[in-house]
Amino acid sequence: MFKKLKYDHYGYLFVAPFIIGFLIFGLYPVLNTVFLSFTNRTLMARTYEITWFKNFQLLFADKTFLTAVTNTWELWLMNFIPQMGIAFLLSVFFTNLRLKIKGVGVWRMIFYMPNLMMASAIAALFFSLFSYYGPVNQFIVRSGFVAEAIDFIRKPSWMRGLVVFIQWWMWFGQTTILLMAAMTAIPVSLYEAALVDGAGSLQMFLHITLPLIKPVMIYILVTSLVGGMQMFDIPYLLTDGRGSPGNSILTNTINMYMKFHSSKGHIGAASAVGLVVFLMTSIVALLIFFLLREKHDEPVKNGNREK
Amino acid sequence: MNLSNHTLTNIQRFFVYLFLVVLVVITLIPVWLLIVNATRSTLEIQQGISLLPSKYLMTNYRILLSKGLDLPLGFMNSLTIAVLTTVITVYFSMLTAYGLVVYNFKGRKTLYNLMLVLVMIPMQLSIIGFYQWMSKLGLTDSYASLILPGIASAGSVFFAKQYLESIMIQDLIDAGRIDGASELSIFHKIMLPIAVPGMFTLGIFAFVASWNNFFNAFILITTRNKYTLPMLIQTLRGDVYRHEYGAIYLGLAASVVPIIIIYFLFSRYIVNGISMGAVKE
Repeated sequence: MFKKLKYDHYGYLFVAPFIIGFLIFGLYPVLNTVFLSFTNRTLMARTYEITWFKNFQLLFADKTFLTAVTNTWELWLMNFIPQMGIAFLLSVFFTNLRLKIKGVGVWRMIFYMPNLMMASAIAALFFSLFSYYGPVNQFIVRSGFVAEAIDFIRKPSWMRGLVVFIQWWMWFGQTTILLMAAMTAIPVSLYEAALVDGAGSLQMFLHITLPLIKPVMIYILVTSLVGGMQMFDIPYLLTDGRGSPGNSILTNTINMYMKFHSSKGHIGAASAVGLVVFLMTSIVALLIFFLLREKHDEPVKNGNREK
Repeated sequence: MNLSNHTLTNIQRFFVYLFLVVLVVITLIPVWLLIVNATRSTLEIQQGISLLPSKYLMTNYRILLSKGLDLPLGFMNSLTIAVLTTVITVYFSMLTAYGLVVYNFKGRKTLYNLMLVLVMIPMQLSIIGFYQWMSKLGLTDSYASLILPGIASAGSVFFAKQYLESIMIQDLIDAGRIDGASELSIFHKIMLPIAVPGMFTLGIFAFVASWNNFFNAFILITTRNKYTLPMLIQTLRGDVYRHEYGAIYLGLAASVVPIIIIYFLFSRYIVNGISMGAVKE
């Protein structure tokens, strides 16, 4: 490989723009956020002091912050579980050789569409559909389901339900496509061998399908978690942008934005929110990825590398 | 025995199709209502739900403009940002991925692992540090702060790397070297033309992500005539429009319909592209 060696240093030239871009737009902003979180810096004043852990002390004593963290986890979990469930069901239907469902490509295409919609437009759409004089109220009142219009926008459980529904609506199609790709990448010969050995379909699912699609499931879990912890557009635009009613849809990022956008622009305090959630999410995501991945390293290498 | 098995399959199939149809209705109804309501007058909208379009599209458009919402400008702003971001993201992701695939330089594995970790980290949460740094550089309220980060998009590099590995032909590179072409011109003149389908898929995702991005623009852009479409949408909820439902729906439809058109034109690229970045070592 003498010939190859001669050219290898060109690699640096090709990856240099990425590294420079990453240092400027990725790494430095993170370090800057860490630094700001140790200060009482605002957008209004030029001077600031290093206050070390004061922002964090205030944060953990702040009920609103804890509410936002709990809310974000709950809103994410409540959409992730049904999202995974429906996607599982759909990919099993679509790949089932006995059912032979027709038009799989078309179904999938339709289910994926909401994922490309502008989340802020969708939130605004649902806001106006569910407003007091909006179409949903007209429909249920006129058709006699309820006697009086429901003030959805002021009901915490309705708004939480809507955030969960919109998130589910936007993401179940993508999850289906990923799971299906993983399932179809499993060699049919594995199932045939299992049939010869007398395995039932449940056994095959538990011992062949599940282990082999595990890497993709971990990918879905981790990326969904990372996205979910940063949830902003939908809860922000669904109500008044402060997580109303009663902080029921206040998420981490809305909380951070409110500190940033407060009258003084407390970027020190906002950075502290960002940093705590950043660390929490990264640690959980990396733990999930590295802990779950190791166990089944071998079967992964043999079959399931779909493109 | 055989017959009953067959019947059972048919019954199951019926329920599966029923389930699929229900899901399709749930998926499409919100978007359809949005588009239909954009063509209906506020009065019609208040009179009830309809699944059929009406004829007030232009009236709604005029109301929207008369209230000071410059939809065409917002559209152009979003388009400018999305196109430039797409070009930058696709080019630099391909460049980086090519470097990772073709050359076995020291630190390659580390860089690759860094990208893997970057995909699993919520980078958006460093937006405050990003904002303050950009304002030091004088880049706040400028599109540069929205476009340039595309140079270092870890997810796109992943996709590009997977794709390049699947189409890489070492002989072509060697042939180029024998002809005396420089490494960069081999990338530009030999590799990029072969990689067009992959770049196209990558480009669609980059475009849609930029087009839909609300949060970063919301933090970084302050001048009204630089507002992007999602930022204009956010202003639609204000008091000025409270009773102009038709106009509101039109504003929302204008931001969603272009993406629907792109999707129906290129859905094959998109659906196949989704699973490509997903499985990695």
